[in-house]
Amino acid sequence: MSIMDYNGGSVIAMVGKDCVAIASDLRLGNQALGVSSNFQKIFPITDRIFLGLPGLATDVITLKERFRFRVNMYTIKEEREIEPETFAHLVSSTLYEHRFGPYFCEPVMAGISKTPSGGTKPFIAATDLIGCLNFAKDFVVAGTASEKLYGVAEGLWEPDLEPEDLFETISQTIMNAVDRDAYSGWGCIVHVITKDKVITRTLKGRMD
Amino acid sequence: MAFVLPGSVPRTHGGPQQQQFNPYSENGGTILAIAGANFSVIAGDTRQSDGYNIQTRYAPKVFRLTDKAVLATNGFAADGNMFVKKVRQRLEWYRHAHAKDMSLHAIARLIQSMLYQRRFFPFYVYNILGGIEDDGSGAVYSFDPVGSYERETCRAAGAASALVQPFLDNQIYFKNQTVPPGNAHPTHLSLAHVLSLVIDSFTSATERHIEVGDGLEMYVVLAKGSPLQGLDTIQGITELTSVPGGERMFVIRRKLKRD
Repeated sequence: MSIMDYNGGSVIAMVGKDCVAIASDLRLGNQALGVSSNFQKIFPITDRIFLGLPGLATDVITLKERFRFRVNMYTIKEEREIEPETFAHLVSSTLYEHRFGPYFCEPVMAGISKTPSGGTKPFIAATDLIGCLNFAKDFVVAGTASEKLYGVAEGLWEPDLEPEDLFETISQTIMNAVDRDAYSGWGCIVHVITKDKVITRTLKGRMD
Repeated sequence: MAFVLPGSVPRTHGGPQQQQFNPYSENGGTILAIAGANFSVIAGDTRQSDGYNIQTRYAPKVFRLTDKAVLATNGFAADGNMFVKKVRQRLEWYRHAHAKDMSLHAIARLIQSMLYQRRFFPFYVYNILGGIEDDGSGAVYSFDPVGSYERETCRAAGAASALVQPFLDNQIYFKNQTVPPGNAHPTHLSLAHVLSLVIDSFTSATERHIEVGDGLEMYVVLAKGSPLQGLDTIQGITELTSVPGGERMFVIRRKLKRD
């Protein structure tokens, strides 16, 4: 079994109409043994960027701190908040620095970016463990339940969902996917990001 | 390659060499069956592959056994075909001995013993049996390669089973869906609704899994005397019913993406 599956856990991000959503499970395990049912894998980067880090738990924590540090340095030097596209490339290059001894995480990010005309655009991206970027227009998935997430998301997702409908779609997707995965589950957390607010909800799930 | 010929590995150095023969391959594809109140839908894609190579775009995985039983096989295609052949032979013997078709639950038990007989050299096949039970209800039986089986409402197996099964949990069993007070989930799904879920499942699996695609075959078995439930308006449907007045059987073929 891969080191990526050692602690379990899954993340998904979806695009909606002028909004994005990102969700994860809350399990931390030691192989098949459940250890925690409140292990956060999604971290706020700015007011409108969230980063999900499924994978080896020790690297989840290390990377969370590394990205915090690098984004803080960027904010101080540039005297402005980082844009989601820029952040995605920061994630990519940070991971590629460790090309031959990688962090065992597959980051998923979601945010709202600013357009040159002053509007906003939903943004999602994911990378593999060495930083190969995937800018999808619909949804991105990662973690031990990724196959299941692909299947359910492909069946439930549709374009231009309003924030409340996007919340229902991403919630149903992750809940039903992790219920078929022994290494993910134990509750979920969902963030829906719109241009002027973030809605965060914790979902009760099966505890088996 | 599945079959390594003895002596095909060049001997470059001395010392002991081990030759081995692998009698199995994995031919991809996915199957799915859903039972309704008085009908059963058994479906499978028609792609057959070996690794990244597509062997054929039309190799049926779903087979009519009797007037009211359909068997879908997935895994190693050679074993699947041979297994169906052997089941059909046993059903023919049963007909000669008892002058009637074997009932669905009996076919399920027969399949279990035929699979378990090969416990230590199994048929490398996941089977799903669908059809109509003696009481007229739609039924689905799913099997593992050594014969462990269970009657269920729905089941997906094969390459994209991990993609399809959680979708079915949500849409057939209404898992993780709570209803507002005073409302209830429908107890039985309509045939039209089930067919649209099957098509959605396979188009989704085709989109995200390389071993699924090319064509879709959906067998529909209707219980004795039950209405057509809109089947007459469906495009590209073929009736396979052999005896008028009994269970009716149809096959619906659809194209799936070929990439």
